[in-house]
Amino acid sequence: MIVCVLLPRFALTTAVGDRRELLQTPAALAPEPGGAQQVGEVSLAAEAFGIHPGMRLGEALARCPRLVLVAPDPAGVADGWERLLVRLESVGAAVEPERPGLVCFDARGLLRLHGGVEGVLGAVRRVLHVPARFGVAPSRFAAVAAASRARSRRPEIVAGGSAAAKDWERARAYLAPLPVRLLRARAALADLPEALERLGVKTLGELAALPAASLADRFGRAGLLAHELANGRDSELSPRPASEFLREVLELPEAASGTQLQRGLDLLIDRLLARRERRGRTIRSVVISAVLVEQGGTWREQVVFREALSNAVRMRLALAPKLSLMPAPAETLRLAVQRFGPLASDQRALLDDPSAARTARLREAIRQARAVAGPEAAMRVLEVDPESRFPERRAVLTPFEG
Amino acid sequence: MSGPRRLSVPRRVAVDAADDGRPLVVDSRDVDSIRESWLIEDRWWTEKPLRRRYWEIVTTCGRNEIVFHDLQSERWWRQR
Repeated sequence: MIVCVLLPRFALTTAVGDRRELLQTPAALAPEPGGAQQVGEVSLAAEAFGIHPGMRLGEALARCPRLVLVAPDPAGVADGWERLLVRLESVGAAVEPERPGLVCFDARGLLRLHGGVEGVLGAVRRVLHVPARFGVAPSRFAAVAAASRARSRRPEIVAGGSAAAKDWERARAYLAPLPVRLLRARAALADLPEALERLGVKTLGELAALPAASLADRFGRAGLLAHELANGRDSELSPRPASEFLREVLELPEAASGTQLQRGLDLLIDRLLARRERRGRTIRSVVISAVLVEQGGTWREQVVFREALSNAVRMRLALAPKLSLMPAPAETLRLAVQRFGPLASDQRALLDDPSAARTARLREAIRQARAVAGPEAAMRVLEVDPESRFPERRAVLTPFEG
Repeated sequence: MSGPRRLSVPRRVAVDAADDGRPLVVDSRDVDSIRESWLIEDRWWTEKPLRRRYWEIVTTCGRNEIVFHDLQSERWWRQR
């Protein structure tokens, strides 16, 4: 049983801050500096003009010339979202965040702890402190669809059908009358609903009734995935590992840039390394962020070190060049640990065996690649039946274990 | 960490074929020439025999592809 927690327009609401009145007007998140010229989340009033997230900036302004562009606040969104995820984890939820404002978790392990689904939702509501919409369904996609139809005080729980009905059958029955545009919730299927609607396929039930082979012929893998989702099937959740939140903040009395900012960064590194919670561990990756002057929004950069570090000088060497990417002077500078490495007691031998050193470097490179791109970043091709006449039987891809 | 994943897994492809089975259009691209064709039959002693007619083709836009016609299911697949 999957619970989806949806906070509509989370990034826009965070970026607006105290200027809540902007949400009543046509407003959209401006493109990030250096990014694609597309608007981010949009207000309800902007939606009424036909503007949607991901639309080209020029087209959005053409549709609504008085559209207010709000400077994005990526650091504020990341911080706010992390706080909410930690609160969810505090009730025992193993969360899989999809994007800021949308998170799912499997509630099966929590039902007895909190006294049923309503108890779980009540516990989540108590810790969140912000209005959210809840959808509960047997599959993740159905839960997201349910959350998008729910109201903040009325969760949508998919439990229809006979007791003997299988989970996917319940999910399929629930999804059948819903529009295919819900498929936009999946990044891989963002373009599919428009094509389906043009072909006359309006609901997920109509999509589910089509033969999978026809969808594969017309849309390839995206078509097959959409067919699976419409039939109430979905992949398992892969919850994130519970993380520690360790951060240092420096308020800068005057807007700072250049050398002054560099000194601020040095101070933050020293403070971070001195924190007791570090318990002698090295640091694998950090996030450096800043609040920019004159409501210029925020700036955020993730840095993964080539090897896990606990040496302030080497950390400075890696982090200092990032400061030059900041688009404006900063009012506040922050440095947060994103991931810890092993204990700092790993010492290099004075005379290394070259082959052992190479192997160690290779292992380290694999760990770095996995820290950045996930566990499937380094794989090995293993020949299982190289003489087979069928190409798909010759080799498999397995995790590289060094 | 996920388990082993097969390489060169066939993927569905849209093919228009002539009466003799020769592919004419692959994924909306006209076939310029056929370099080779071969038949593979295996597992004929089981409930799920495999019968494939492979075609190595060159499209008019210069792509060299290998497609096969699954003679059991009558579907076309691309394979690298």
